[in-house]
Amino acid sequence: MSDRDETPTTRLRKELPEEVPAAPAGPSEGAGQQAEQPALTGRQRLVNGLWPPRVTRAQLIVALLLFGLGFGLAVQVASNSEGDSALRGARQEDLVRILDELDDRTQRLEEEKQGLEDQRTELENSSDQAEEARRQTVEKERQLGVLAGTVAAQGPGITLTINDTKGTVEADMLLDAIQELRAAGAEAIQVNGVRVVAGTYLTDAGDGVSVDGNKIAEPYRFKVIGAPQDLEPALNIPGGVVQTLEKEQATVTVAQADKIIVDALRAAERPDYARSSSQ
Amino acid sequence: MIAVLGLVLGVVAGLLVGPEVPAVVEPYLPIAVVAALDAVFGGLRAMLDGIFDDKVFVVSFLSNVVVAALIVFLGDKLGVGAQLSTGVVVVLGIRIFSNAAAIRRHVFRA
Repeated sequence: MSDRDETPTTRLRKELPEEVPAAPAGPSEGAGQQAEQPALTGRQRLVNGLWPPRVTRAQLIVALLLFGLGFGLAVQVASNSEGDSALRGARQEDLVRILDELDDRTQRLEEEKQGLEDQRTELENSSDQAEEARRQTVEKERQLGVLAGTVAAQGPGITLTINDTKGTVEADMLLDAIQELRAAGAEAIQVNGVRVVAGTYLTDAGDGVSVDGNKIAEPYRFKVIGAPQDLEPALNIPGGVVQTLEKEQATVTVAQADKIIVDALRAAERPDYARSSSQ
Repeated sequence: MIAVLGLVLGVVAGLLVGPEVPAVVEPYLPIAVVAALDAVFGGLRAMLDGIFDDKVFVVSFLSNVVVAALIVFLGDKLGVGAQLSTGVVVVLGIRIFSNAAAIRRHVFRA
């Protein structure tokens, strides 16, 4: 609008030399043509201004201003198209509201996180307890398995070998030996590949002896896990197992060992009648 | 021609350099750009009308920019910055459209 406001003075000052050649043609064509005349000249002026580049003071100043405009335009467009343009253009009140909402949300999420962490701690504790109980159960199962003969066992102990070439050794003598070993603290016993447990029975069977229904023949080899320094004297006491057997013409050898492996197993059987009375 | 060259150079330089807008002038730059655009369209129309004057153009260009920035500044101080900015943009937009219509009549005679 400012350009239009100044028209009277500028027209007189600037356009007068250019309008002079056009002036004689204008009036001769009549009033009807005068509306067309400026349109034509406007176009020509544009072309004239554009093509022969004239280095004048006016052109340079305008170029400088337009340079500034172009620069500002590009900078603004570039800064506006950066990622957070949604917040960049927002007013202060909107920003405050957004900030409040974010604070509320943060608080809610913080509470939720706290609750979830508590839950996690609880679960970890309970799973720790379950793990501990499971571990203890496994441990107990192993201990009981050694007694029940369902798992192999190893440890220090003795081997007791009875060579009975005359066939004079009977089941009760072997039972005496087993009782003596048990009394001396034997924890796992096997004889010729048969595990001896609480319910083991021995019977005479022809030349040899039957242990839990498995017939075994001499030499009878006992593998016993227990304290060797207790087991060996228990067998060798005067009037004890070894002397009794030797009286029957059997040869008895007792050897201590640091590592005895009792690997004969028994199937775990569920008792038919007896039930645990502890709740 | 040189003026058009200046505009093109300005855009290219702005895109290439891409400087961060200082926080002080950040709210005023968009309005200033729109005001300058208005001055440029006015100048172009004046040129087509054959009444262009560089002095008038310079003064109108600079005063447009300064007044637009001033209005935004005042609006921010009064707490109606958003509304006043919108108003300035609307007014300048209307002026740009009317100038563009005049230019169109000159160039296309329609």
